[in-house]
Amino acid sequence: MCGIAGIMYKRKNGHDGVGKALISMLDACQHRGPDSTGFALYYEPVEGEYRLRFYVGEGEVGEKTVARIREKLKEYQAVVLDEDAAGGTHAFRVRFSGDLQKFSYDMEHVAKVFSIGSSLDIVKDIGGAHDVDGSYHVGKFEGTHGIGHVRLATESDVAPDSSHPFWATGFADVAIVHNGQITNYWKMRRRLEKCGFEFNTDNDSELIAVYLADKLSHGTLEDALKTSIDDLDGTFSFLVSTKDEIGYAKDRLAAKPMVMLEDDNLIAIASEEVSLNRLFPGRPLNTFEPPPGTYKTWRRSI
Amino acid sequence: MATLDLNTLTVREANERLRKLGADGEDVEILNPDARHHIGVGLVHKINVRVRGSAGYFCAGLTDGPRFIVDNNVGWGLADNMLNGSVVVNGNASAIAGVAIRGAEVVIKGNMGSRAGQVMKAGTLCCVGNANFMAGYMMYGGRIVILGESGDKVGQDMTGGTIYVAGKINALGTDAMVIDLPQAEADSLREFLDRYEIKFKGDFQKITNAGKNLRYGKTEPRVRVIPFFMASETAGYWNTKVQEDIYVKAQIGRYRIRGYGAARPFPHLNDLAFRKDLANLPADPEVISKVNLKTSIGGRSGATPLDLSMPVMIAPMSYGALSKSTKVALAIASGLSDTSENTGEGGMSDEQRAAAKRIIYQCLSGRLGWNIHDMQRANGLEIYISQGAKPGLGGQLMAKKVTKEIARIRGIPEGIDLRSPSRHPDVLGADDLVIKVEEFREATGYRLPVSVKLGAGRVRDDIKIAFKDGFDFVELDGMQGSTGAAGNEVLEFVGIPTLSAIQEAMDALAEIGASGKMPVVLMGGVKDGIDVAKALALGAHATAVGTGAIIAGGCIACLQCHVGQCVVGIATQDPEHEKRYNVPVEARNIHRYLEAIRWQLAAITHAHGYADVHQFSRDDLVALTPEAAEITRLPYEPELARRAERLRKAS
Repeated sequence: MCGIAGIMYKRKNGHDGVGKALISMLDACQHRGPDSTGFALYYEPVEGEYRLRFYVGEGEVGEKTVARIREKLKEYQAVVLDEDAAGGTHAFRVRFSGDLQKFSYDMEHVAKVFSIGSSLDIVKDIGGAHDVDGSYHVGKFEGTHGIGHVRLATESDVAPDSSHPFWATGFADVAIVHNGQITNYWKMRRRLEKCGFEFNTDNDSELIAVYLADKLSHGTLEDALKTSIDDLDGTFSFLVSTKDEIGYAKDRLAAKPMVMLEDDNLIAIASEEVSLNRLFPGRPLNTFEPPPGTYKTWRRSI
Repeated sequence: MATLDLNTLTVREANERLRKLGADGEDVEILNPDARHHIGVGLVHKINVRVRGSAGYFCAGLTDGPRFIVDNNVGWGLADNMLNGSVVVNGNASAIAGVAIRGAEVVIKGNMGSRAGQVMKAGTLCCVGNANFMAGYMMYGGRIVILGESGDKVGQDMTGGTIYVAGKINALGTDAMVIDLPQAEADSLREFLDRYEIKFKGDFQKITNAGKNLRYGKTEPRVRVIPFFMASETAGYWNTKVQEDIYVKAQIGRYRIRGYGAARPFPHLNDLAFRKDLANLPADPEVISKVNLKTSIGGRSGATPLDLSMPVMIAPMSYGALSKSTKVALAIASGLSDTSENTGEGGMSDEQRAAAKRIIYQCLSGRLGWNIHDMQRANGLEIYISQGAKPGLGGQLMAKKVTKEIARIRGIPEGIDLRSPSRHPDVLGADDLVIKVEEFREATGYRLPVSVKLGAGRVRDDIKIAFKDGFDFVELDGMQGSTGAAGNEVLEFVGIPTLSAIQEAMDALAEIGASGKMPVVLMGGVKDGIDVAKALALGAHATAVGTGAIIAGGCIACLQCHVGQCVVGIATQDPEHEKRYNVPVEARNIHRYLEAIRWQLAAITHAHGYADVHQFSRDDLVALTPEAAEITRLPYEPELARRAERLRKAS
């Protein structure tokens, strides 16, 4: 139960950057989810390099976990280029070539992975948008696109690792944020597990991420969203992002809100118009509400 | 014209000023709205309000009289439950525009989102652009005018009212049909469009209810009277009640609807005992003056709490399921005993309001009998999510009881088998619920406690959500709760027992570090002062009695509440039957019952050496059965159970 937001800029200049925009949008709908806030941000990819972010915990436990991760990276001959600790997380930039899915699953067995990608970095933590910015400096991120989420936990824990966005474990750069509830969760999860996919939480939103990633491995994002409307049962409005696309899908019952704004400069999508209006204070906006059972994607133009 | 700028004022501050300006009859302009929620909520004066931009959720909600113009878009729930007045939106409206309106005129110049006009009762909702999924969903009356396309499933499950569509009808909903448009109605539409300066020359198609789903095909037959207690005490697999259920099904070919609750044994408060031996309790007639029973509830977020003389309320029961006489008697009794009455689903009557010292006003999914004026004269508000007798389902009121008067108060057509929606139009998750709670607070100036009624199902999750959504207290209703009408199998097999419910609730609050921070009112089979004391020891802050109060007031517990021909004048709307109910006499009876509870509670409190009833704790209790021990994690003391059995036989 939550609020979602996503943004993609079509021009390099004339805005404050993706980080600041998402912070404002999520702060505006924090009433929908006071428990935790998260962001999926996309950096310019560098050939052969990956970004990894782990949830390691604080203090001695955290240090031990980081040491285990370093060992595992060595085992995979991944060369660490850069490291950074923030909140309870630890981020690495590595050079790696090999089977990314196997690498990801093995990494997951060492420590809780938030994201792996050539471009993607997921930061998420307990608290509001400004709290998370305080620890992770999201506002400094400029980029071209990203998605974010505020969460009100209903069934699983209030913890950094059950916060959104969810990374599609094993698939670089795919992230989702979701508002709603997937009611055929276990059926779909078992089907995907039989195909060899691993799940790291009991959160229904992770299912959407893995489902889409699987579809993406043999089709386009648009195809994946199209089939998701039939395959997923329940109430949902979700956003998905990859290193060069964002998209949305909305269930047929139109039970969860979603409103968007598109002009020559940007495409912005949110649960409520109040988030869009934060980007343009005092200005009436020509927004659009996607009809039930629809989906759409946008590709980076810069 | 006064100006309120939301760049410098919060919505709460702006609404407060708006109400004052409304009382002075001054028109208002709102600047920089920026799609914020709750703009104009709770306004009951005939002033003009101009919103210079977009408004968020529930713009002009819970109002009576004002005329709003919104320059741009609006969010969910435009003009929610608006009685009189008008709203013109120059942009688009999001989902459930015109939800539950009862006379207002709502015009949207752009498109409108899904479920527009859901559970509306009267008035006009006009969309110049296209409508979306399920326009007119479950509408009870009034008219929806759509100049563009209808969207899918237009008129889904509509009970009354009319939908006029000028554009394409994409697909009709279940039980909706297209019929000829009489000239008088076409003229009336023209007049409406002219009045709002909408230039349109096209023709309309008229959609109404097809009338196939308004009544059950067969009504329940009269059956022999098996009192609830007899039905409940027969534990055998085959018994008189089971036999009767089968007879009824053989007559009507579907599930049986009946009154009362689950008629099979469950672990309950009876299966607990006080650890302390109370057998030699001295009979002190003055005991009430020696302990404090006072209970304050609902003040956790700054609202005026309900200060009750004891932790016992009257449980919510509707005018509709019960006769007006019964509701008035309950209100009088609650006043005499200085506690609180609850309206239940069917609205509030003047007599009930006058008789009750404190009254909680219940808001249900169908918004039947719901309005801003009664909200403002209540002492507490309650959002009903579900009830113990039938968690997950809406109320049922069979046609015999949907009289002209009941139909008028509820805003529905007369003589239908009323099945209230199982979901609120604007609460599809915890996130929406936050915004709904805030709307109620805005509408009543943050003065009233807002509570939530939960039928015991997934208590652990529900209680956590209730806490996060900021409710002032929770009314938690276990499976032993009764009702005026529900499917027999639902009564018997859906939900969890009251004992499990309170335990899960306390565990849930402990898990999120909120123990003692949100009071829980336990109901569902609470029948005497002993039960109340045990409930408090388990962690409840107060309790409510429904079935007990009804029986005290003359109910014979025959399970036939749904039929509408109650022989004692309680569960009926038939004046001939209601005559049998003597309000002053029954009010005294209910009052004496409440006083008996008070004495018992005081005596048990005193016998424990406590000065205050809220000193009870789990340490005071033991379990008499393995099941109750398993549920509550209290120590199992079989010897106490055997002793109780010996005492019972000896007496």
